[in-house]
Amino acid sequence: MAGALRVSLDLDSPTPAYRQIANDLRRHLVDERLKPGDLLPPVRQLAVDLGVHFNTVALAYRMLADEGWLELKRRRGAAVIARNAPRAVDRRQADRLLRRLAQIAAELRSVGMTSRQISSALRRLAQGARP
Amino acid sequence: MTSTSWSTMLVVTVNAILFHAMPRFSRPDILFAVTVPEAFVAGAGRTLVSRYRAIVWSGAAAALAISVLLPTPEPGSGRGAWLMTGVVAGNMMVALAAWLLAHRRARAYAIPPSDVRVASLVPRDTSLPGGALLAVGPFVILLATALLMYTYRDNLPDGPGTITSFLALGGIYVAMMLTMAVSLARRTRQIAVDGPAAAAEQRFRRVNVLVLVLVAYGVAVQLSATTVASIPAFSDTLTGGLGFVLLPLMLFNFGVTFWMFRVGQGGQRAVAPAARQEFHGDATPDRAWKVGGLFYFNPRDPAVWVENRVGVGYTLNIGNLRAWLLMIGMMLAPMIAALLLF
Repeated sequence: MAGALRVSLDLDSPTPAYRQIANDLRRHLVDERLKPGDLLPPVRQLAVDLGVHFNTVALAYRMLADEGWLELKRRRGAAVIARNAPRAVDRRQADRLLRRLAQIAAELRSVGMTSRQISSALRRLAQGARP
Repeated sequence: MTSTSWSTMLVVTVNAILFHAMPRFSRPDILFAVTVPEAFVAGAGRTLVSRYRAIVWSGAAAALAISVLLPTPEPGSGRGAWLMTGVVAGNMMVALAAWLLAHRRARAYAIPPSDVRVASLVPRDTSLPGGALLAVGPFVILLATALLMYTYRDNLPDGPGTITSFLALGGIYVAMMLTMAVSLARRTRQIAVDGPAAAAEQRFRRVNVLVLVLVAYGVAVQLSATTVASIPAFSDTLTGGLGFVLLPLMLFNFGVTFWMFRVGQGGQRAVAPAARQEFHGDATPDRAWKVGGLFYFNPRDPAVWVENRVGVGYTLNIGNLRAWLLMIGMMLAPMIAALLLF
């Protein structure tokens, strides 16, 4: 596992803590910085480090386990597993996310970004760049 | 001057040295238990430290003068012990008051706590140093002593009953020390996320855990030696032999104290400023620290142990139920055992 693998949490963000943790982890998984066989810290250890309730981290891990990224190990955290890829696109899930993306695109335009800038930023993000 | 005066002077001097060094133990961006900018510590904060030390040493000088100038109490009157207690307590109060004053002044320069928290996704080693093999050592020592006592049971003046209870109590103390060691290794927050700062912090924590394991060895050796000394055939051999075992343990503890002073809380003073974490403090909010930073009370923090802000090492989060269970267990276990065994 490569070094400097981090998860961050903004207590001031309207996004729930478990979702922020899951989002960060998913980004590492999609970028393949976390590879099959890698172990994640035990739930309690990560919860203590982030200063959140154990259930918050457990919920994030369970969410990613449901998506097929992780295998949960009792008292030993979670292990990254080989996900069956490519999966058939889940149309309902994709539509829901695209609706969210449309809202975000509208917000970006309202803060002054042009369509071209938004497209370019999206392309960079899709290729794994950080914002 | 009487031996009481000399003892008082020694205690007062050691106390003053400890309080003098106290600000040095903290993390580089914590001063008088308050999270402040590192630049403040190196700049205006030095004036605060100087004023604090001036009060500490003035208190110590006054205590020393009292212990020298007061008339020597009559031997056997018991006034000497009272005098010593009064002078030492007074000196301690002055030093604590100096700390509280400096703490209040430092709060004016506090950094607001960050809303962003960051943790490493790399699992860290939370095992005991030396593993289970080193941890069972104290129990093996006590068990071996119990077997030896059983072999010599006919030579024991008080019979084997009391001694077996004594060793069983030792076993409980050892178990308590090891429980604390495991809890410290597993339920402490890692503050620096990665790089040399994280490595230094982990090393610092492991040394603290190792100290607890070695204290368990010290308890086992001391109890075993005291017990075995009741057999006439061993008493002479043990008198000199015990020093060979306890002296290295004591030297190790002195060495660790000196090392902690050098590397500071969490080992962070040994890390180059550029390599330190990008976040301030020790990931605990200042408002959760009570009585000048002596106690940490934060029911919303899942950490059982947090880094001390007064002195070096770790302290329990008294807002955490698990910390209370640990404390109550520590206090009750030996008391219940003593009631049942003796």
